[in-house]
Amino acid sequence: MSGDDDRVAVTADGAWTDDVDSEEGVVVNWFAGEGGAVDEGESLCEVQVEKVSVDVEAPVAGTLDEIVLGEDDEFTIGDTVAWIDPE
Amino acid sequence: MAQQERDQAVDRELTMSRAMVEAIAHEMREDEEVFYMGEDVADYGGIFDSTEGLLDEFGHDRIMDVPISETAYVGAAVGAAQEGMRPIAELMFVDFFGVGMDQIYNQMAKNTYMSGGNVSVPMVLTAAVGGTYNDAAQHSQTLYGTFAHLPGMKVVVPSTAYEAKGLMHNAIRDDDPVVYLFHKRLMGIGWLPAPDGPKTPVPEEDYTIPFGSADVKREGSDVTIVTLGLHVHRALDAAEDLDDDGVDAEVIDLRTLVPLDTETVVESVRKTGRLVVVDEDYRSFGVTGEVVSRVADEALDDLEAVERVAVPDVPIPYSRPMENEVIPDGEDIKAAVEATE
Repeated sequence: MSGDDDRVAVTADGAWTDDVDSEEGVVVNWFAGEGGAVDEGESLCEVQVEKVSVDVEAPVAGTLDEIVLGEDDEFTIGDTVAWIDPE
Repeated sequence: MAQQERDQAVDRELTMSRAMVEAIAHEMREDEEVFYMGEDVADYGGIFDSTEGLLDEFGHDRIMDVPISETAYVGAAVGAAQEGMRPIAELMFVDFFGVGMDQIYNQMAKNTYMSGGNVSVPMVLTAAVGGTYNDAAQHSQTLYGTFAHLPGMKVVVPSTAYEAKGLMHNAIRDDDPVVYLFHKRLMGIGWLPAPDGPKTPVPEEDYTIPFGSADVKREGSDVTIVTLGLHVHRALDAAEDLDDDGVDAEVIDLRTLVPLDTETVVESVRKTGRLVVVDEDYRSFGVTGEVVSRVADEALDDLEAVERVAVPDVPIPYSRPMENEVIPDGEDIKAAVEATE
């Protein structure tokens, strides 16, 4: 899916994944919209795993090209939630 | 509207809780006299995320968990405010105000008056309000009217993230006591999903929304719906439905009860002739009656029809269908509008 462009995947994982037992979570809130500019490290969305909320941050600066998993969508840890067109 | 123009310039959206926290953090960085205390506001971040993340930046000296004694910590906040600090004290649920009622009603609200103006009480009392999630009669009230009834305090009720931030900046900077009531259902918490609407674009920089300025959330010519908090969103839903039936409703978000922007409401009624007041507080001796009275005082001749939509005078039921029955929804608002025709 990512082979045909330079887009960078935003994935639902991070340092927090070691602290949870469940592999499944749900996307709760998006703070950025498709087509919007994002900074590296900016909170893009909030996900919830085992009733704990965690922010997913932008791995690079750029334009949020596509939101793959919207609010209320379920995910497995490591799933791609969005794609960023890097600057 | 001016707000829509601003929205277009901002990419980022925030939930209402994050917008509140951003304003508090900004004020705490600018003024070392600002601090926050309440039950579970430090390590837990507030059970409705009202202080999420503040402990990390400011530490336990300025984000303080307190024992379960509303009298003690509201009283401490009043004293600190009189000595020149700018405390924010949080009642976890507004329903708990009764425990510290003397501090709130007789000290916080009146000490400026009782001292002949020798002290001021620049504090903010924050509290979570509202039902819709089956927490029963002691954890689901709104009680806006209880605070608005009392001379001496300002009462603020945000409906969106944009309003939550601007009103919080204003509340903390105000030299008099302010009660800031946030609806749990609007905060954007994972386990308590918000309706569409309260998550809005929010500028990164600080800005204030003056107290006493209602916002026309939807312009219309046939009927005026006046409301606040969660019910702004329910009224907007009802207005969309009514639009399909050819009824053009104006929706006014009061944003603050004290001071109350009577002028905006009256102007709207002069245009539409029909008034529906919607509120999640109890029906009797409350917000709906007050708004109707003010319009009657100012513009009785323009008033062709009036309806009130509020919680009937019963404790909020625990049972889901019964709670849904007593808390007004979009259908109730629509029916009230139709009753004015």
